[in-house]
Amino acid sequence: MSSQVEARPIRPRRLRIPLHTQQAIMGYLFISPWIVGFLVFLAYPLVQSFWLSFNNLENLVNFQIKYIGLANYIEAFLIDVRFLPMLYTVVRNSFIDVPLIIVFSLFTAIVVNQKLPGQGIFRSIFFLPVVISSGLVVRELFGQYQAETGGSPIVRGIDVPTVILLVGPEFARTVFDLINRLALVLWRTGVQILLFLAGLQGISSTLYEAARVDGASEWEKFWKITLPMISPIILLVAIYTIVDSFTDIFNPILDYIKNLAFAGQFRMGYAAALGWIYFVVVFLMMGLVFWIGQRHTFYAGER
Amino acid sequence: MSTYTGLYYGVKPVRRRAFTFGQAVLLVFLLGMAAFMLLPLVFVVVNALKPIDELLLYPPRFWVQRPTLANFGDLVLASSALTVPFIRYVFNSVFVTVTVVGLTILVGSMAAYALSNKHRWPGQELFFTLVVSALMFAPEVTSIPRYLIVNRLGWIDHYWALIIPPLASTYAVFLMKQFIDQVPREIIEASIIDGATDWTIFWKIIMPFAQSAWATLGITSFVATWNDAFSPLIFTRTEVMKTLPLMLQTIGGGIARAGAGAAATFLMIFPPIIIFTFLQSRVVESMAYSGIKS
Repeated sequence: MSSQVEARPIRPRRLRIPLHTQQAIMGYLFISPWIVGFLVFLAYPLVQSFWLSFNNLENLVNFQIKYIGLANYIEAFLIDVRFLPMLYTVVRNSFIDVPLIIVFSLFTAIVVNQKLPGQGIFRSIFFLPVVISSGLVVRELFGQYQAETGGSPIVRGIDVPTVILLVGPEFARTVFDLINRLALVLWRTGVQILLFLAGLQGISSTLYEAARVDGASEWEKFWKITLPMISPIILLVAIYTIVDSFTDIFNPILDYIKNLAFAGQFRMGYAAALGWIYFVVVFLMMGLVFWIGQRHTFYAGER
Repeated sequence: MSTYTGLYYGVKPVRRRAFTFGQAVLLVFLLGMAAFMLLPLVFVVVNALKPIDELLLYPPRFWVQRPTLANFGDLVLASSALTVPFIRYVFNSVFVTVTVVGLTILVGSMAAYALSNKHRWPGQELFFTLVVSALMFAPEVTSIPRYLIVNRLGWIDHYWALIIPPLASTYAVFLMKQFIDQVPREIIEASIIDGATDWTIFWKIIMPFAQSAWATLGITSFVATWNDAFSPLIFTRTEVMKTLPLMLQTIGGGIARAGAGAAATFLMIFPPIIIFTFLQSRVVESMAYSGIKS
């Protein structure tokens, strides 16, 4: 440390770049590696698949395509009897699943975030299904065995009392379906719980201390501190869950599209068209979530 | 008891008792949940121990009747028949996964920092909208054009093809941005006044603060890359470039090899579990930074 303080100009004389421009340049520099990847591996393929949706693949070997206008889209809406009902089911299911997953994972995250014995173990256990089930295991667990007689292995695993089979096959099927759905929903919450946990960690403990001094109850703390502070994470989780459920291996639409494009038929043009219709539907749902989210999200950094 | 409550108020606070009771209820809830969440793991373990006839049983059974270790022997046998040493697949998988996870975090966080409200550059809003909309597109749909691009770059059968395309993860950017937005603006401003460059701010403030975010991203990206059998399937040709999941799919594919497949699935789930246990402690440790006042 120098004891003398000399009077000198704050900035040495050099080329002055305005702060705004400096920030803009740095911004571009930080984002550029990602942008390159984005343009090459996402944006361009997207544009090309859009173009492909107006074409028909004539020859696979040299990828020869022929322009056929809206024919693929007309087929999807007017001729294909499987696509629209499938789309309806997928959308309807996600309207039930997504809120369920959000509420459940937020609740679990808050519980696991308490100082409880073995909290680390619980965290790990709740995340396990994500690690395991992203592969072939889930397929085996639920498989094609559903409904009918004994239900999937999962139903047998928890040993549903066989009494319900006596009530009637209709009832049994409903119960099995319910268990299957519940399992699917719960097993998909691992990432969401983790995201919420990370969000909860980010809340400054001083807020809770202040609230305690002011005599706030746990309930009030949740509504006045926790919820507003993690609202950006709720939006993130909602988006993640929607994307996850729409791009999940169980999604019948993706299976259908993949089969059209790759399994023998190579109807890549039609597959691309279905992909884009699907994209628009998901886009509308996300738009809805964002629209709701923007009005209720609170960003601490923006104050 | 109730007659003494007045007295006890002074000695020990009521809060303490309510906490313990609540704790017990929560613990019961957690235990029930945990049992349910453990089912897939149990299933994988049990499956690996099933003899072949039980594996192919219809309708399938959850528990094993006559446990055996024969499946692991089958797996060794199946992998010794391969043209390439087993360790090569392990190396490919580990190398690709670790590189992808590290670079995804770096590239995604940097982009998120630029997109977060700390910066104002022309086109920022538009770009963020673009990121979010790209998020919704199922990767399957773009797989054909993506293959054509990788092909044109001459990356087929190179590590590049497995490493570079997943780096442009929109999910990574979106996740990191949601967390970086939470960094108190005052700290950033104070560091700018102290003469910190963006690079310093990024490494010294943003990354430590968003520790739980990138740990989360690391876990999800590890799981996704480790289990991915689709990109190696379309981007690799020779055996030496294949990764574990693809190889296991090949050897566990046939009915005769169902046992080896079950054993392989069992072995495959361990690395993600280890990574998870390691990284999830970071999600907790970031508690230290939550003391930052905003």
